[in-house]
Amino acid sequence: MSLYSRLAWRNIFRNKRRTYITGVAIAIGLAALIFLDSIYIGMANNMIASATASFTGEGQIHGKDFLLTRDPDKTVSELDRVTSELKNEPLVKGFSLRTLSQGMVTSTSNVNPVLLVGINPRTERGLSQMDDVIAQGDYFAGDDPQNIVIGRKLAELLEVGLGDRVVVTVSQAGSGELSQDLFRVSGIYKFNIDDLDGGLAFVRLEKAQALLGLGGRVNEIALSFHDPRVSQDEAHPFWAKYSTGGNEAQGWTKLFPALKAVYDLSMMATWILGLILFAVVALGIVNTLFMSIYERMFEFGVMRAVGTRPWGIRKLVILEAGALALLSIIFGVVLGFIITVIVSRTGLDYTGVEFAGVTIKELIYPVMQVKQYIIYPASVLLFTLLVGLYPAGYAARMSVTGAMKRTL
Amino acid sequence: MNTQHRHLIQTERLTKTYEDSGVKVPALRGIDLTIHAGEFTAIVGPSGSGKTTLLNIISGLDKPSEGKVWLDGKPVSDMSGAELSDFRRDHIGFIFQAYNLIPVLKVEENIEYIMLLQRVSKEERHRRVHDILRDVDLEDYAHRYPNKLSGGQQQRVAIARAMVSQPLMILADEPTANLDSKTGADLLDMMRHLNEEHGMTFIFSTHDRMIVEKARRVIVIRDGLVASDEKRN
Repeated sequence: MSLYSRLAWRNIFRNKRRTYITGVAIAIGLAALIFLDSIYIGMANNMIASATASFTGEGQIHGKDFLLTRDPDKTVSELDRVTSELKNEPLVKGFSLRTLSQGMVTSTSNVNPVLLVGINPRTERGLSQMDDVIAQGDYFAGDDPQNIVIGRKLAELLEVGLGDRVVVTVSQAGSGELSQDLFRVSGIYKFNIDDLDGGLAFVRLEKAQALLGLGGRVNEIALSFHDPRVSQDEAHPFWAKYSTGGNEAQGWTKLFPALKAVYDLSMMATWILGLILFAVVALGIVNTLFMSIYERMFEFGVMRAVGTRPWGIRKLVILEAGALALLSIIFGVVLGFIITVIVSRTGLDYTGVEFAGVTIKELIYPVMQVKQYIIYPASVLLFTLLVGLYPAGYAARMSVTGAMKRTL
Repeated sequence: MNTQHRHLIQTERLTKTYEDSGVKVPALRGIDLTIHAGEFTAIVGPSGSGKTTLLNIISGLDKPSEGKVWLDGKPVSDMSGAELSDFRRDHIGFIFQAYNLIPVLKVEENIEYIMLLQRVSKEERHRRVHDILRDVDLEDYAHRYPNKLSGGQQQRVAIARAMVSQPLMILADEPTANLDSKTGADLLDMMRHLNEEHGMTFIFSTHDRMIVEKARRVIVIRDGLVASDEKRN
């Protein structure tokens, strides 16, 4: 260990109480930053999963302007080419074709507007959670084309149960002619999301295409990815590649702007927390170093008198700041890790809470990332060294005789 | 080597004026002085007479308001801050009234400190530390921290620290003020012995009659001027 490192390390323990108080303050701040960042990421992932994995998918491809007009005639262009490319796309984990149209569902007791969704039950199983949330009946078991699966809330509104018959009325693509068919309720699902439970009705894709007069066309291709970051990256080349030939490919950030805003806000919250931490670090370090410098004024004077250059004094004070930061960081990282691990086992229960139009369905678990244990501690260290420049400069610039006259 | 006639310190019409709340207070009012290598000199005078100011200016710790100082033939006023630091490190040893050892360094580390600044090799440092600890009779205290030593022992460490880098001169500001008379006398004998044996120049700023009695030259400063300059054999 060099002379100055040895001096700095020993100096920070000259006033142990002060060092511990400052160190603990910095450590708690860092631990809070690490833990809250992991919780924010966990919460964002949870909400994104709730929003995308329930039904929407992490991304979607539509015919141009379909989302604006909801006109069933605006279908995905060059469907065969697009599906063929998606099958060979290494980024894509799965995709499912859908038709979407506004319609009315009529029971013997009531009538309710719905979004009629035509799905392929097999591919949809890998993409949405429909099959996991069936509360009564089954998820398109067998091959009866007249089966319809509806949400519990819609079932209550229509006053229907399993096996009851309902009439679905839609207007056909292109012509606008009304088209009707009779379906039998074969399954009732419960997402615990009002919009999904009360506003959607699912039928087989081929049946919906026939009802709407779409032939083999579809209105939507829902996507899931191997790497969820693709869906968050609006600039990812995937979106441009599939936004051609009259189609629009969009990730969940475009499909759920409110959720994106919440996601951005959680990231911003981390930054704000980081800034508060750094302010605490700055004040703590500057205060501690100045107290230490004032106490050792005479000593600095003597060191300068016997030949220590101003740079040597500067280096010593900066190293003291670094040593203090290093101790605090070690404690803070360990503390942050322990808290995160504990909460990782228990999770935070916010299930049922609706936020930004998304209902949290599962426990929130903190997500550990390398940045929390590398970048944040390194930033604290770097910031501490930068902040240490101020008291270090003060100590280095002191006049030798002035310093030697001053004692506390 | 005969160093006795070498001009180690030369001052020319040295003045220093402090300003206190707009009032000018003269500390030195034109001091002409020459100190040769190997001298054992006491600068004496009442409090506020200017002796510490003179020592500070001689060592480059402070700048004169007017006049010039030459150290070993080099004009101090021409040196930059870093050059002055290096000059003090390499050529001047300091002994202070309150010992002023670095409390977080052990005895041997305190003595080693200046040699570390000078980048002296590890082997050479250890050899010199060992030798000087033997000279000041503190061989058994090398690994102790200063707060575990008596005042006299701490001052002996300070003397060892001042001497170990083999400087041209040692400036001692009231070195016996905090010591009992026997310890002070012992230390003074030791410094006198080092002066006679190694030819090292000692300049004291002091009130202590014992130092005055043992000094071979006594310069009396009064009101910022040299009142008398007595050389003894």
